[in-house]
Amino acid sequence: MKRATRLKVVGMLFVLPGLISYFGWTLYPIFYAFLISLYKWNLNPELPSKFVGLANYITMFQDPVAGTAFKNTVLYTVITVPGQMILGFLIAYALNKKIYGQTTLRLLYYLPVVTSWIFVSLIFEYLFSGYGGLVNYIFHTNIQWLSSPSMAMVPIYVLGIWKGIGWSMLIFLAGLQGVPPSLYEAAQIDGANKWNLIRHITIPLLRPTIMFELVMLTIGGFNVFLSVWVMTSGGPMNSTQVVSVYMFQQAFNYFNFGYGSALSVMLFVIVFIIAQIQRRWLKSND
Amino acid sequence: MKGNSIRFLLIVSALVLVLSISALSVTTIVFWHAYSETSGEVNLLMKTIIPDFEQLYPNIKVDAQLVPYDTMYQKLIVGVRSGVLPDVARMDIIWVPQFANAGILMPLNEQQFPGFDALKTQFYPGPLSTNFWKGSYYGLPLDTNTQVLCWNAKDFQEAGIQGPPKTMDEFINDIKLLTKKDASGKTIQWGYADGGVDVWNTLPWIYSMGGSILSPGSTTSQGYINSPASVKALQTYAQLYEGGYIAPWSGGPGTFEGLAQGTYAMTISGPWIVSILAGEYPNFKVNFALFPAGSGGSRSVTGGEDIVMFKNTKHPDAAWTFMKYMLSDKVQTEFAQLDQMSAIAHLASNPDYFKTNPYYAIYTQQLETAVARPPVPAYTKIDSILTNLWEAACTSGMPAQAALDSAAQQINQALAQQ
Repeated sequence: MKRATRLKVVGMLFVLPGLISYFGWTLYPIFYAFLISLYKWNLNPELPSKFVGLANYITMFQDPVAGTAFKNTVLYTVITVPGQMILGFLIAYALNKKIYGQTTLRLLYYLPVVTSWIFVSLIFEYLFSGYGGLVNYIFHTNIQWLSSPSMAMVPIYVLGIWKGIGWSMLIFLAGLQGVPPSLYEAAQIDGANKWNLIRHITIPLLRPTIMFELVMLTIGGFNVFLSVWVMTSGGPMNSTQVVSVYMFQQAFNYFNFGYGSALSVMLFVIVFIIAQIQRRWLKSND
Repeated sequence: MKGNSIRFLLIVSALVLVLSISALSVTTIVFWHAYSETSGEVNLLMKTIIPDFEQLYPNIKVDAQLVPYDTMYQKLIVGVRSGVLPDVARMDIIWVPQFANAGILMPLNEQQFPGFDALKTQFYPGPLSTNFWKGSYYGLPLDTNTQVLCWNAKDFQEAGIQGPPKTMDEFINDIKLLTKKDASGKTIQWGYADGGVDVWNTLPWIYSMGGSILSPGSTTSQGYINSPASVKALQTYAQLYEGGYIAPWSGGPGTFEGLAQGTYAMTISGPWIVSILAGEYPNFKVNFALFPAGSGGSRSVTGGEDIVMFKNTKHPDAAWTFMKYMLSDKVQTEFAQLDQMSAIAHLASNPDYFKTNPYYAIYTQQLETAVARPPVPAYTKIDSILTNLWEAACTSGMPAQAALDSAAQQINQALAQQ
C-alpha cells in the first residue's frame, strides 16, 4: 500500500468512530423524526401507524398554540442573545484589564454556566414569586410574575440572559486577548479616545468571535426548554409556550408523536436556515 | 457392593432431577412500582409483603423494581416501543386508559383470570372506573385517595364561625368571612387556597355543584362541561378568585404551610397532609370535613394507583396470583397504616384498618361518592385544556360560558383524536 493511501486509511479509521456516532445519533434520528411526522404514529410497534402525508404540518399552521410557541421562541432568542452578548462583552472588557481579584471575578461570572438549569430555574421561581419574592421586595412591586400571562416570560428571559453571560464573557475574553496591544498604542498616538478604540479596533477584530457567539447562542435560544419546563411548563394559558416544550408535551404527554415530530422538524428547518444565513453573512464580511 | 453403588447413583440422579425440575418451575415475575422510600412503603413491600408472598407461593419469585414516579412514565413509553416491560406494575390511575389504548396492558376477565368478577365488586366505583377502557378492565385499584376540606380552627374561631361549611352556600359565605385585610388594604388571610386549577383541584367544585366533565360513556363533553351547572361552578370560583377571596395559585406559601400558619383558612388535600405537616408544625392539628355539598352532593376527586398486568407477560397466572395477593385484605390493611388507603369498600368496617390513622374515617366517607378524573387516554390533554380556560376565566375576565364552550369544543376534538 502506498504511503499516501495508508495515511488516508489510518485517517479514516481515526474519524470513523465519530462519523458512526454522528450518523447513528444525529442524522438518523433527524431523518426518522421526519418520517414520523408524516404519520399518525402509533407508539406501539405492533399496532399500525397511519400515513397522513402533510396533515401534521397543516395542523401546525392552524394551531394557535403552535403559533404562540414559535412566536415566544423567536422572541426569547431575539431578547436573550443580544442580552447575553452585550453584557458578556462589557464584563469581558472590564475583566481584560489588570484589576484586583480578576481570576476570582472571572470564576464568579462563569459560575452560572456550570450550575444545573433545573436548580437555577427553581431558584428563579422563588425570586420571582408573587408573594414575598425577592424581586417584588426589592422593586416594591406587587407583580404576579409567573401567574400572569403578560409577565411570565420576563423571569424566563432574565434567567436565560443571566445564565449565559458567563459563557459569552469567556469567549469574548479569549477574543480580546488575541487583539495585539500595539494596535491600541498606535491608535492612541494618533489621538483616538476610548470609544474610538472599541469602535474601530476591538469590535472589528472581534468579528469572528461575535459571529461564533451569535450562531451558537441563536441555536441555544431556539432550543430553550428546561427553564420553561421547570418554571411554567408553558403556562399560564400557554403564554410561555415555546416550541421544544410544546413538542415534548404533544409527543410524550398526549402521545401525538406525529405532530410532535412535525414541530421538531419545523424547528430544525428554521434553525438550519438562520445558521446558514449567519454563516454567509460572516463570510461576506471577511 | 456393585449393586449398592448403582442404587446409590440412581437415587442421587433422581434427587438431582427432582430438585432441578422444581427449580425450573419457579417463575419470576417483574413488578415495577413507585412506592415511597421515605414513608416506609418500600421497606414494608420488600421486608414483609413479598417475603410473605414467596413463602405462600414457593414457585413464584417477585423481582420488585423501584422506578421513581417521575421516571416511570418515561420508562413505560420506552417500554411500549422496545417491548421491555415488567409483568405487573403499580401505575398512576390517570395513565391506565392511555397505556391500555397503546395496546400494552392485559385485559382482565373471569374466563382467563378466575376470581376477577368477585374481586371487582369489592371496590368503590370511582377508583374502579379508572381501569375501564373500551369495554374491558385493564387493572384493579391498588390504593386510592381523595381530597377533603381541611380547615384551620383558629381562623374559624376568630371569625366567629362555629364549624366547617356543610353546604356550598355556607362555603362561599365562609370563604368571604375568613378573608382579612390589613390597614393598608393588603390581604393577610385568604378564605380558601389551592395549589392550582388542574382538574384535580377543580373537579370537586364542578361535581359538587351538579356539573360534570364528560358524558357517562366518556364520549362527549358538549352539554356536560358547558352545562348550566358546570358554568355556575366556574362562575362561582372565578368571582371568588377575582374578589381576592381565593389565594393566588402560585407565589404564596404552599397550601399546607399556609393552612398551618393561618394564612389560609381552608384548603383541600389528600390524607398525606397529616404526615407532611407533622414534621414542621407538630402543634398544628388539621381539621377535616367533607367537601361542601351543592346541588350535586358532596363530590370529591379520586387519586391513587392501579395494579396492571402487561400483555407480553409470559406468566399471566403467576402475575394474577401476585395481583390478587396485593389486593388481599391483609396486604391492603398493612399498606393502609402508611397512608395508602384501600379502595376496597368492606375494609371500612374493619377496626384494624383505622388503627393508626383515625382521619381515614372522613376520607373513607368522601370516597363513597368520589369521582375519577375522566378515565380516557386523552386525559392529560383534557386536563391542560380545562386548566387553561379555567385560568382564563379567573384572571383575564373571560366569561365562564365562553370559556367552557371553548373547552367543550376542544375536549371533543381531543376525544376524537385519541
